[in-house]
Amino acid sequence: MIVSRRGFFGWAAGSALPLTFSNTLRAQEDGRRPVFKVKVDMVVLSFTVTDSRNHYINGLKPVDFRIYEDGILQKLNTFAEGAKAPVEVAEDGKTRPLLETEEAPTGPLALDRPDAFTGTNVFILFDTSNFMYRGFVYAEDAIADFVRGLDRADSVAMYTFSRNLSRGALLTRDHNDAINGLRRSVAGDDTALYNALLLTLRDAAKVPGRKVVIVFSNGPDNASMVAPDDVRAVAEDEGIAIYTISTNEVNKDAISSSALRRIAQRTGGKAYWARTWQKQVEAFESIREDLGNSYTITYYPAPNPNEGFRKIAVEIVSDPGKKLRVHTRPGYRPTRTL
Amino acid sequence: MRIPRVHSLFVFVLVSAAFGQNSGSIRKLETAGDIAGARATLARAAEERPNDTAALAAYAAFLERYGDPASRQMDNRLLSLLRQRNDLAGAASVARRLAALDLEAGDQAAASRDLEAYRAITGSNLKLGSPASETRPTIAIPGPLRSFARMAAMPPETSPGEVLSALARNVVTNGYQASHSNDELEQTEYLKLVHRYISQARELQELAGDKKVIEVPNCESPKGADLLRILGFRMRGGCGSDVILETVNATRAFITTDSGFPVNELEQAMRTNRPFSYDFHPTLVPVLFGPEYWLGPQEKGKAMPDFLETFLGDPAICRLYLGFSKLDSETADALRKASTFSRLRAYSHVLDFFGGMFEVRQGKAVVPGGQTSKGAWADLVGVSPDQGGAFFDKLLPKDDGWLASLYDALARINGPVRDYLTDPARMKRFYSAIRGRITSPGPARPVFRSNTDMMLLTTRLRLDPNGKPHIPGGIEVWKTLFSNSPQAKTDLKLQKLAISWKEPDDVIEALFALCRKAAENEPLKVFMALSDLDRNRAQPLDAATVTRLVRAYRTYGSQYAIFSESRDLSNQSIGQYLDTAEAISRLRDVEFRSDTAGVFDSLVGLWQILVRQQSMPAAKADPVFSTLIASFAQVRNDRELFDAGRSGLKLLVSAVPKGQSAAKENDPQEQLVDLLAGAASSEDTEARDQVEQEILRILEAQRIISLDTLFQLADQLDGVARGEKPNNALIARLTGRISEIQLPRQALSSAEKTSVAFGYWVDKHIEDQRRLNLRAVVEKAGNDAEKLKDVRGLLAPLLRDTLVAYNYAYYAPPGSQVLYTNSVFVRSHDFIGAQGGNHLWRSTEVLGSGWPSSAGGRLVGSLSTLPYALAEAEQNFLIPAQTQALIWTDLVPQMILSAKIPRWWNVTPSQVHWVGLHIRYGRELLAESAFDAGLRTPVLADLSELASPARTREVQHLLEQGDVKEAIDRVTPAELFLLGRKMASTQEAQSAGSASPLAAEIRQLAEEFPKQINYEVISRTFGTPKPTLANSYEPELMNLRTFPTLMGYSSRIMAESWESNTLYWAALADELAIRPAELNVRIPEWTGQLVEHIFASHLEDWPAVLKSLRLVGEDARAKSRAAVATDQKAAL
Repeated sequence: MIVSRRGFFGWAAGSALPLTFSNTLRAQEDGRRPVFKVKVDMVVLSFTVTDSRNHYINGLKPVDFRIYEDGILQKLNTFAEGAKAPVEVAEDGKTRPLLETEEAPTGPLALDRPDAFTGTNVFILFDTSNFMYRGFVYAEDAIADFVRGLDRADSVAMYTFSRNLSRGALLTRDHNDAINGLRRSVAGDDTALYNALLLTLRDAAKVPGRKVVIVFSNGPDNASMVAPDDVRAVAEDEGIAIYTISTNEVNKDAISSSALRRIAQRTGGKAYWARTWQKQVEAFESIREDLGNSYTITYYPAPNPNEGFRKIAVEIVSDPGKKLRVHTRPGYRPTRTL
Repeated sequence: MRIPRVHSLFVFVLVSAAFGQNSGSIRKLETAGDIAGARATLARAAEERPNDTAALAAYAAFLERYGDPASRQMDNRLLSLLRQRNDLAGAASVARRLAALDLEAGDQAAASRDLEAYRAITGSNLKLGSPASETRPTIAIPGPLRSFARMAAMPPETSPGEVLSALARNVVTNGYQASHSNDELEQTEYLKLVHRYISQARELQELAGDKKVIEVPNCESPKGADLLRILGFRMRGGCGSDVILETVNATRAFITTDSGFPVNELEQAMRTNRPFSYDFHPTLVPVLFGPEYWLGPQEKGKAMPDFLETFLGDPAICRLYLGFSKLDSETADALRKASTFSRLRAYSHVLDFFGGMFEVRQGKAVVPGGQTSKGAWADLVGVSPDQGGAFFDKLLPKDDGWLASLYDALARINGPVRDYLTDPARMKRFYSAIRGRITSPGPARPVFRSNTDMMLLTTRLRLDPNGKPHIPGGIEVWKTLFSNSPQAKTDLKLQKLAISWKEPDDVIEALFALCRKAAENEPLKVFMALSDLDRNRAQPLDAATVTRLVRAYRTYGSQYAIFSESRDLSNQSIGQYLDTAEAISRLRDVEFRSDTAGVFDSLVGLWQILVRQQSMPAAKADPVFSTLIASFAQVRNDRELFDAGRSGLKLLVSAVPKGQSAAKENDPQEQLVDLLAGAASSEDTEARDQVEQEILRILEAQRIISLDTLFQLADQLDGVARGEKPNNALIARLTGRISEIQLPRQALSSAEKTSVAFGYWVDKHIEDQRRLNLRAVVEKAGNDAEKLKDVRGLLAPLLRDTLVAYNYAYYAPPGSQVLYTNSVFVRSHDFIGAQGGNHLWRSTEVLGSGWPSSAGGRLVGSLSTLPYALAEAEQNFLIPAQTQALIWTDLVPQMILSAKIPRWWNVTPSQVHWVGLHIRYGRELLAESAFDAGLRTPVLADLSELASPARTREVQHLLEQGDVKEAIDRVTPAELFLLGRKMASTQEAQSAGSASPLAAEIRQLAEEFPKQINYEVISRTFGTPKPTLANSYEPELMNLRTFPTLMGYSSRIMAESWESNTLYWAALADELAIRPAELNVRIPEWTGQLVEHIFASHLEDWPAVLKSLRLVGEDARAKSRAAVATDQKAAL
């Protein structure tokens, strides 16, 4: 994810010098023509670490990780585990708290708030199209349970969609507000899943900190103008993990299933197929565990001439035998701006 | 009695006498667009000279001209001052003025006061009416209205009076479907849910008891358990903080949440063990004619059936209710009394579709054509229009509804065409043609009215100066078409008759006869398209060109709007276009044909833009067009295509006078962006830069190769081919830039790819570019001249994409999610279409949406309707402001198109002000009509030319009751504009004694700037493009009644006939002192907001559009006020 640094230095002062760099794509011939630049301010990277039995590995420290972009070692800026408050990582690998209090933050979200990177911003995208009609209320129950179980530090936005997107509840730390938004949703018509997902990602991209989108749908999109892979690319570049819960059968619509799987895998999320209410609850439980057991680091990328896709690799120093598995997004493309 | 209005004379005398020196400078400031400066000068004068009536009057008049609410305050100060000075004439004038402004603001008490002051001074009898206390029989709907509205798919703000008609409409359109097992209709899921809701709401009503409030004292209360059972929920966990409500009965729980029952509040109350209380009073909704009428005669002793159940259970009753709700009360009563319930129920579909224009006044039917046609109507219907109710009762079933459909089509038009069509003999003749021998099936079939063609014909027919209908190319062309063309063989009778045609009436009769055909009515479409072409031309098309266009319509018809762009396009150029199009169609190599069509279409598209924007002088439009297309007639290979594209572009750019672009002459990329972004001479650089950057961002997002790169590389290759020394570094840099574009690879597996047979040629086009390694090709060619020329040919597909991208970027709707997300959207434009189809010259269409396996939706066909297709592709990325609302398909793309095609770079502040003055004058006329009965009659007569009889009557009632604000809310900005236009030009309004200052200002501006300010120019500047209705992208105001939804067009024609948006935005810009050039940015933004706020409940719900329009306007006003306040604070 690419975040403007405006305000970030307000609380992270001294942590790093501005590393924003520009790479002119076109020669500026007369000083009048706008120039497109590659802009990378800060990368937020979330990942989970599991062992061979798929058990989460907790308690790792910043010094346990090495982050590479296209093979170039990166210097960590902040580090956080689960919903714990982030810590600043010094040159020597030592850490110090960024926040003076451990209490869960309240109030509106803003990048210039010191708690901007605490907790996860969870965007729930609920399919209310005719396809979902039968299981509508059970799905609402499962989602409401999930929201209730989130960490206090997590923020939630509740969006619904059919042919169009509807913002039932904007991103809030008041989880009850989000459930209210959920209960206000109404059944719709066509399913434009990827359109709605794209708009949700655009909203999520404006928010600082760690973000995930949870899509609750049954997969068969019948109205989107954008393709799953274009949407996936946006999520990849913005560093937003996408979790998908499909109420469809995995083999019923192979192409849709494959698209959902690909989106989840490439963005650092996971795909679930849950026809029954019980399976849906389990899927949400799994996502909650993922959120609670993940690590989030930030860094300002070291100079890199690559203007295309930059591959990210997370190496665990304390695991020379490579027995542990890191689940994260494979990389991102820097943004081109005028 | 009409009381002469003296106020304006007073204002002018005051202003001109004492403010004469300043008025010139104020006018200069206004003309220059410095409205804030003019305001500040006048405000200062009024502040510094508080006892100077001229200063106050000048400031008050200024504020009124710009629709500033502060004008009332200033008028009040002026009134006090005049009274103090015993200037009774002046005081009377201001008092009357104030009364009108009070009424516009909805302040009836103040209006009464001011009118009283006016009466006291003048002794006149002008007075306001008082609200009527009408009580209508009602029925009770259980529960709150908002819940019922949600379940019945009505907007949340639906008033009780609108409930049953809205419900009737939804039942008619969505309530029933054909049964799978028999011929009966069965209820849809929608209606089943409405029934379930009513049933659940009745249970809740019982629980609520006599207090009509659902009360649960605490979590453990048995009433809580009862409530949860009805709602379909149960508690999980014991009472206290752990309690969670979860579904136990999915059907009930769905109704609960879908109807908006506050489950979450209930859950919170149970968690905290607080009492829960929910108002569950039933909603009383009025019933037209009372419930008994709809339930029919009942047997004695039997209980009255439930109204709601009966209503929902019979779609014909709903349809009759819907039909009656479109009539004014006088007409509805007359019809009801003249007929029986069962007879009306049987023809409810005809009443619903064609009854909206029925009008009975003083017992007589008001028929199209008036007195002249009365006899003909009596003959056709069998009853005299003098027997109003009986006339319509007989009209409804006549010929299965065909006569009613003609009545409706004729009642919707005005002026000479209506006079022509309602000539008694002609009307009978044309009706006979429509009716035919067999009248079944009638035109009132379900969902959409199917008399589309007749409505289009009557609305769009043109008369020549000799009073006869305009026949493009002359009668012979049409005789030939009908007698020889294989297309006309569907009607052998017409084919035989055509041989003897002599008069234009013969052709029109044939077109009327075709209107009743269910099949595609190509002759009418051709006739309308060519009539429109002639309408937009300085000289009509010659017979030979018309003949060719008639023959070519089926293949090239969608391109004809191109010929409307310039009034001076010659017959020869049109023929040349068709020749070239045919030559391109004959190209065998599909990829080459696709590239050629792409380059050709793009350049023609750019020509259209430059001509429409008036960047290219009108005199050059034809020669440039002719030269441009000529070069494509002979292209045989990619090299020639590249050269034709390049020279075509050069031709276009060089046809634009110097000064339109600030870019260097050798920089085609920048020149073109400059030209597309708008007038370089515009002083509003901020707006212009914004538009330019938007274009550049889209080109960047689409990874488009710049024209500079392509042309420089081509020049290098040419140089080397001519034996010049190659600039290897430059070649490497240029080829490198082309390689840099990095088109995303398809992530599809082979299995997925093979399952998708869509877009083969486009995928190949993109794949070829992915694989293209120009550097290697150049190196391999070495110094071989022929090979290097071939390399130039490789640039042709890239040039195609670049040129297509300019067209896309120019018309891109605000936001453009597709263009910013799918980086190959432009490249995937499919000029050929799927295998087996030939889309080369068809309209632009959106295909492939909702296919997860495709690379997203793409546009297919030519670029002829690109603006609409782009808006269509983008519409569903807009986010409705209300939960239940959806984006209005068909209407929204047209609204976006209307905000993108017209540009306002050359508009003057005075032109914007002129529009604002008209709309304000229209409001003023309505306000004055509330207390001036003499004025009310002509005002309502003018309004009735656009508004339906029922709406005109509604406005009349509201004015009679003094409720001007409500009355204005029912009148569209386009109608207000027309009212202003008609009344400002009447002799009555021009007489100095009664002239309104707004009308005077309208006339004065027109006299001062005759070339810039006249209705023709304003129509072109603030009108809307009507590609379907008028076969032209040229914006214009046609002053049409808002069309209904039509079979084959859905809401598209309705949207094209909606001319209010731009007029409203212009008046808003005038009020908020927004620079005209800024409209190029603001109008697309405002339109986006407008679309997101529409909550329409049906496909003809234009009042929902009006509501949204005003909402966005209010928001803009609030933001402007806040910005002004901030600026003032900062200045302190």
